[in-house]
Amino acid sequence: MNDAMSIPHLIMNASGVVQAVMLLLLLGSLLSWVVIFQRTFVMRRARKAHREFEDRFWSGVDLNELYRETPAEQETLGAEHIFRAGFREFNRLMPKTQSPQAILDGVQRSMRVAWSREEDRLNLHLVFLATVASSSPYIGLFGTVWGIMGSFQSLSLAQQATLGTVAPWIAEALIATAMGLFAAIPAVIFYNRLSAESSRLLGKYEDFAEEFHSILHRNLQGRGESAAG
Amino acid sequence: MARQRRHVGYGLPLILAVGLHLGLLVISVIRFPSAEQEPPNQAIVQATLVRAETATDQAQQAQAQARAAAKAKQQRQEAEAAAQAEAERQAAAEAEAQRQEEEAARAAEREQARQAAEQAAAEAERRAEQAARQEAERQRQEEARQQREAEAERQRQAEEEARKQREADAERQRQAEEEARKQREADAERQRQAEEEARKQREAEAERQRQAEEEARKQREAERQRQAEEEARKQREAAARRAAEAAQNSLDQAIAGESEAVANAKQAEQAANGFINLVRQAVEQAWAIPPNVPDGATTEISVRLGPSGELFAASVGRSSGNSAFDRSALSAVETAAPFAELRDLPASVQRQYREFNLRFRPGDIR
Repeated sequence: MNDAMSIPHLIMNASGVVQAVMLLLLLGSLLSWVVIFQRTFVMRRARKAHREFEDRFWSGVDLNELYRETPAEQETLGAEHIFRAGFREFNRLMPKTQSPQAILDGVQRSMRVAWSREEDRLNLHLVFLATVASSSPYIGLFGTVWGIMGSFQSLSLAQQATLGTVAPWIAEALIATAMGLFAAIPAVIFYNRLSAESSRLLGKYEDFAEEFHSILHRNLQGRGESAAG
Repeated sequence: MARQRRHVGYGLPLILAVGLHLGLLVISVIRFPSAEQEPPNQAIVQATLVRAETATDQAQQAQAQARAAAKAKQQRQEAEAAAQAEAERQAAAEAEAQRQEEEAARAAEREQARQAAEQAAAEAERRAEQAARQEAERQRQEEARQQREAEAERQRQAEEEARKQREADAERQRQAEEEARKQREADAERQRQAEEEARKQREAEAERQRQAEEEARKQREAERQRQAEEEARKQREAAARRAAEAAQNSLDQAIAGESEAVANAKQAEQAANGFINLVRQAVEQAWAIPPNVPDGATTEISVRLGPSGELFAASVGRSSGNSAFDRSALSAVETAAPFAELRDLPASVQRQYREFNLRFRPGDIR
């Protein structure tokens, strides 16, 4: 009896549908944990990179020098990416137009595009986590319902319906729900945590974009006045 | 370098995730078998019956149980050793018997061969004798014939002389012939007698031999039978000894398990009469142990019975601290009642069994 009720034994003895459900849930759990680890690392590095970049940006370094130091556009991330996009657009527009408004509009548009890319990058795969979090309890429940249906069918065939005849069936059916919850709970927790982290980072990027924009605006303001005067 | 660090691959997260799942799997596989050992869901429960008058002592009981177990083990070992020795002895006896039988067979063979040789010798002697007899007979006949011929010659010669005398001669000849015949007959008779005697002697010899053989055989058989009897007796004795040992063993256990502080003969008698066992079995069968009972939980139920075995009162004498456990023990007693076997007891001891304590202890079954 001890051996019959152990979890590996129950899993091995489950019906095909329930086993398929368990396999699906195991896969979902595995992938969601891959996403959790990967996103956690990504977020931690983005936070660190942002802190370093802000320190350098506000250390009083010349913006042209900073622009030259940063690597190429495709390889930059976060606030650095936004800064590069904005500054490049600024440099390109400066010779072409005298209107500060047009330059600032162009810079702002370019920075919004970069920000949007950053958002996309940070939120990558988080949707998968949300899907696993919301659907795996239902999948597990389906496995349980199916297993209990089987147990009742076997109960109708049995001559003597004791708890001993149905207990293994129900236990193995309930394992499906347990696995669904096992997959869903970390997915929910980490989805919330990672999406909060991501939105905080995006908020920081947005703040940086605004500040950078105001710096450029200040510079252009002086130039526009001198040009007008 | 800083750039490369910014890209996070999927290799490390994959390894971590797989490792996490494998770890959980291993933990679940390793922990569950050991966890299953723990719940004492054994059907056998020990309800210890304690006489109301005799205050018992847990430590003493445990000691006595250990003692009883040790004793039982020792007895078992002894019995095993005895059985082994018995088997060895039996095997040796068997080998001995076989050897003796072989020897006997060999002796019988030798005897037979000797007898056959003797017989052959006797036969040869007899034949030689017969041949000699025949030879003598023939010679005698030959002589007689010659005599007769000579006589006839003489007769023929004398015929011429005297015819009258012929008759007298003839008469005389006849008489002589008669005499010779008689003598021959007497000779033959003597010879036959001698032969008869020799035969008788031989027969007597053979008879004597046969008798000796018979006697030896009887002796051997008697020996064998005696040995077999001896062996059977030994076996019987060993079986009796074993049975006595087993009986002794079970009695010891019953005493040790049931009532500890009372080690006197009276208590042993009472334990043996079976009422306690019956009550205990009935209560055990009616007892549904609740789950999650802590190890070593012990509750004592005081039971009072009516004269015909019906339950007057059952109350918790010493609680285990777990109310569900106490309730289950109480309800087991209530379900098992009435104990109608009380009426079968002799009237003198009935009163002593009207009040007793039952100790419920599921933990020490494992």
